[in-house]
Amino acid sequence: MARSSTRLTVGTRRALWGWAFVVPALAFFGLFAFYPIVNAFVLSLHRKNVLSLQPPRFVGFQNYADLWNSAQFWNSWKATGIFTVSTAVPLVLVSLLLATLIVSRLRLQRFFQMALYTPAVIPGVVAAAIWLMLLDPRGIANQWVNFVLGVSGVDHKWLASPDMVRLSTVLVYFWGKLGFFTIIFIAGLGGIPTSVKEAARVDGATGWQLYRYITLPLLKPTTLLVSIMAMIFCMRTFSTQYLFTQSGAPREPINVVTLGIYTTAVRDYQIGLASAMSIVLLVVMFVLAFLQFRVSRTQDG
Amino acid sequence: MALQTQQVHGGGTRFRRTLLGVAVDALGWAALIVAVLLVLTPVAFMFIASFMPARDILKMPFSWWPDPIVFENFWHAIRGNDGRFIFPRALLNSVFVSGTIAATTVLFSTMAGYGLTKLRFRGASIVFLFILSTLMIPFETVMIPLYVVITNLGMQNSYAGLIVPFLLSAFGVFLMRQSLLSFPDELLDAARIDGASEPGIFFRIVIPNLWPVMAVLAILTFESQWDNLIWPLLVVQSAELRTMPLYVVTFMEEKSTNEGAMVAVAAISSIPMLIIFFTLSQYFIRGANVFSAGKE
Repeated sequence: MARSSTRLTVGTRRALWGWAFVVPALAFFGLFAFYPIVNAFVLSLHRKNVLSLQPPRFVGFQNYADLWNSAQFWNSWKATGIFTVSTAVPLVLVSLLLATLIVSRLRLQRFFQMALYTPAVIPGVVAAAIWLMLLDPRGIANQWVNFVLGVSGVDHKWLASPDMVRLSTVLVYFWGKLGFFTIIFIAGLGGIPTSVKEAARVDGATGWQLYRYITLPLLKPTTLLVSIMAMIFCMRTFSTQYLFTQSGAPREPINVVTLGIYTTAVRDYQIGLASAMSIVLLVVMFVLAFLQFRVSRTQDG
Repeated sequence: MALQTQQVHGGGTRFRRTLLGVAVDALGWAALIVAVLLVLTPVAFMFIASFMPARDILKMPFSWWPDPIVFENFWHAIRGNDGRFIFPRALLNSVFVSGTIAATTVLFSTMAGYGLTKLRFRGASIVFLFILSTLMIPFETVMIPLYVVITNLGMQNSYAGLIVPFLLSAFGVFLMRQSLLSFPDELLDAARIDGASEPGIFFRIVIPNLWPVMAVLAILTFESQWDNLIWPLLVVQSAELRTMPLYVVTFMEEKSTNEGAMVAVAAISSIPMLIIFFTLSQYFIRGANVFSAGKE
């Protein structure tokens, strides 16, 4: 660059500027995304305790073998799996239903979108904190459920029994993400050309036929995308489970993978083992992310 | 003949559709209204409960009208249990950290997007692929090695440690690149003929024309950082450095925290994003769509 710039062609100068604009991003991703991944893999082959002064000891794939034999590790995948399926499926179905209902309204579309999206802007920890009060034995959840069931004074143990704790975390997450997916479905529904629907209507299709045989197939890319996104989001859940366990809910049913990684690194100081857990999580999510990428590419046309 | 059948048939469905249609329409309205009421219940509970005396919050049945209306919960929340006013500080920390990250993400992502699309250089597509591949790395999987990196850089327990790992996002680069692809070259060439430098073009022509997308990215970034619990939980030890989510967690664990103060902390923590949401809602809605489709 010290050379006189007049000696460089316009193309070369522009290319140099191009590099200059991209270098900060390259350096950043190299140091804070790419390197940690490599480092995570390297660490996962070592035994390293944060507290001990000894250097990391190479143990090969011992950490992975330990994980394979660890009941706690399998339990954490079980917890994540149950959480993901029981949150993502209702999320996709209900947000599709709500989006369909909203776009078929002639009025108040905007209001419904905003009202449903409101929980998404409540911070996750705050959401968990509010729900802990709603789900308290004396809270509104018991009062309302008992009212609907026509009984009184029954405690449904939202934060105490294993299955109910699972359900409670699902509720918190479902509540927070519903509006987000509804809005994506609304955009997807809006992207279906009206000419196709008009043609079907002229051919005598009823409202339900129109929806079942025209709208839903054309919405498939959005549905796929939302499903995979919901799954990826759910697998990353942390705040809700962390807050719930911190406030005394049983740990085992909601000891999701992210919580397991955090606990292994921060409470047990086992950096190598935590890294191995991270790598496993990465591989699983990478497959899902790859699917998402493929889907969004096909959607781009 | 064919036409006639169709008309008769069409007439029939139209009649049925009107009868059925009214019922379906009414059901639709009912379902939507119930959904909105259910979804807004926790928000309403939070704001109403924060004006109640603490002992009334978990009283059965819950009274949806605070009686008497009190403000002591807010005072307790702001003061903290120890009277050190850590909570306002945590809110400011969150504003500072999230704001800085939003600003740097938007700036560097736009720069990278501009370099990748309008200043074509050999290897640009490889660079883009490299950045794109990191988009698929979820933060939770790199947080432990990232924590090691930050510790080695001596940034543990500091603002730098909170901010540096998020200075840029692959999603941001992706988004800005996509929007710059359709940016008219004529505008840039005209400026070049007038003798403008590349940084000059970037700041005077690209940025002013791209601000709607930049605003979407800024809001998405700010929102995700405002919500970030796991990273501050890892890197922060001092009370003064706590961000809002971290403060909420620690406040909750303190023995002398009562429901009133807790719910007031929750309400105050929610207000900034709610205000931003209600004033800039179209950006949030665009943001949700941008996020899904990865285009715009």
